[in-house]
Amino acid sequence: MSAVPAPARGSLGPWLLLAPLMVFLAVFFVVPLAQVAVMSVSDPEWGLGHYAEIATDGFHLRVLADTFFTALVVSFCCLLLGFPLAYAMAAASPGWAAVMMVVVTMSFWTSFLVRTYAWMVLLGTRGPIARVVEWLGFATPELLFTRFSSTVAMTHILLPYMVLSLYGVLKRIEPSLPRSAASLGATPSSVIRHVVLPLAAPGIVNGLTLVFVLCLGFYVTPILLGSPREQMVAGVIGQQVEEFLAFGEASAMAVVLLASTLVVLGLYHRRFGLDRLWG
Amino acid sequence: MRLALILLGAVVLAFVATPLLIVVPMSFSTAVSLEFPPPGWWTGYYAAYFGDARWTKPTLNSLGIAAAVAVLTVALVTPATFAVVRHRFVGKGLVNLALMLPLAVPHIVMAIGYYAFLADIQLLQTFPGIILAHTALSVPMAFLVLSANLKGFDRGLERAALSLGASPARTFLHVTLPVLWPGFAAAALFAFVQSFDETVVALFISGRDTETLPRKMFDSIRTTADPVIAVVSTLLFFAVAVLVIVPVLWRAASRRRLEPRP
Repeated sequence: MSAVPAPARGSLGPWLLLAPLMVFLAVFFVVPLAQVAVMSVSDPEWGLGHYAEIATDGFHLRVLADTFFTALVVSFCCLLLGFPLAYAMAAASPGWAAVMMVVVTMSFWTSFLVRTYAWMVLLGTRGPIARVVEWLGFATPELLFTRFSSTVAMTHILLPYMVLSLYGVLKRIEPSLPRSAASLGATPSSVIRHVVLPLAAPGIVNGLTLVFVLCLGFYVTPILLGSPREQMVAGVIGQQVEEFLAFGEASAMAVVLLASTLVVLGLYHRRFGLDRLWG
Repeated sequence: MRLALILLGAVVLAFVATPLLIVVPMSFSTAVSLEFPPPGWWTGYYAAYFGDARWTKPTLNSLGIAAAVAVLTVALVTPATFAVVRHRFVGKGLVNLALMLPLAVPHIVMAIGYYAFLADIQLLQTFPGIILAHTALSVPMAFLVLSANLKGFDRGLERAALSLGASPARTFLHVTLPVLWPGFAAAALFAFVQSFDETVVALFISGRDTETLPRKMFDSIRTTADPVIAVVSTLLFFAVAVLVIVPVLWRAASRRRLEPRP
């Protein structure tokens, strides 16, 4: 905030400025969202039947468990891959850091569909990885349309969020801190473990939360690349609507997905404040 | 340990870059299905893309929708950002949170919500329906970008203009807007790209005549793996490259201009 005080106006001023956007969001965001909640208890008839079904039949619970598990795996893969990259970016010369930043930002801005398509090429039975495996004398691997292929692609797609979160904190670490730890006799690995990692903790939590939440609701990549037998929640919701027009059931699953997302974000908000997450 | 981390970082960088780069040779390949390395080279699929209305029409649809979303988003978000950044009022924290909400809701949830809602108001499978939905989803990023920009704005400039006799409207038009234009441009760009890339909601609410490019790409990957998809991906790759690299080069150039010559 600037030091200059805001012009003295009635308390109505800010609300007049806010009104167009708030009305717009109320009509074109809150109403459709509320409609999902209403459909979940009213389509085709009123009652909590869909929720009872989700809680009791094995299929929905397994899909939910699979989704959470996948989101956890992807989050930690992103952390394991993202940390060395962010560390190298922070340690590199300005020129190299800029090059790495361009690559990460380009990945960030490239459409999910383009990156998903690229992984279909890379992991396909006639792709480069299969060729190398064949050349080594093994049978052609079936990598595509498995949990492996969708996990790899989702990790690749969400990795920029993690790298940018981590780079933000690593870049801010005072260079004298690791240096003085080292001069006091800390080994390089204990400098990273006891100095760098604790200082990077906010970025790690940030990146894990972002990747986990985005992965929970992932639709495109698991459908195009994943195994048809091991779907994620979003895919099941889409299928209910597209194939069976079962809006009630789909909406109930959507409410469960939304609630899970909001719980994770709510925990983050209570601890750190949500406005930091995307900053 | 340090060196190992940096080497590992280089490997991860290759992991990030490879899928982005592979679409370029794929687009010049003669292969009818996914095959790499390409069995031969030609530019036939480029001709197929530019000559086929089944691809060019969704592309134009998406460009038009995204442009409308960018304009509408900036028009709605600008006054709200001024209110939140420059005023103190009861409930500001809540407003802040409310403006972030579209970012927190998974798109598949909004997709079925918009499907039902737009059907009710007769806007399903229409351009206005898609534009309105995409605008709502673009609000948070535009707000974040614009408010970061506005927080860095020096109010002294406005006070100087006002004290020299300019009316508030003139001050806004001739002082505030020119200083803030990169923020407006960035917010508009975020909204544009968000809409242009948005897939899940568009899959459910766009129709035969209002098909968007991501929807066409999704259907194409899912059903036929049409090689033209590599051409579209390559064009998008270069568009993103321009978008990312130009500002970097521009900043480097202006830094060089500002540095004193030896």
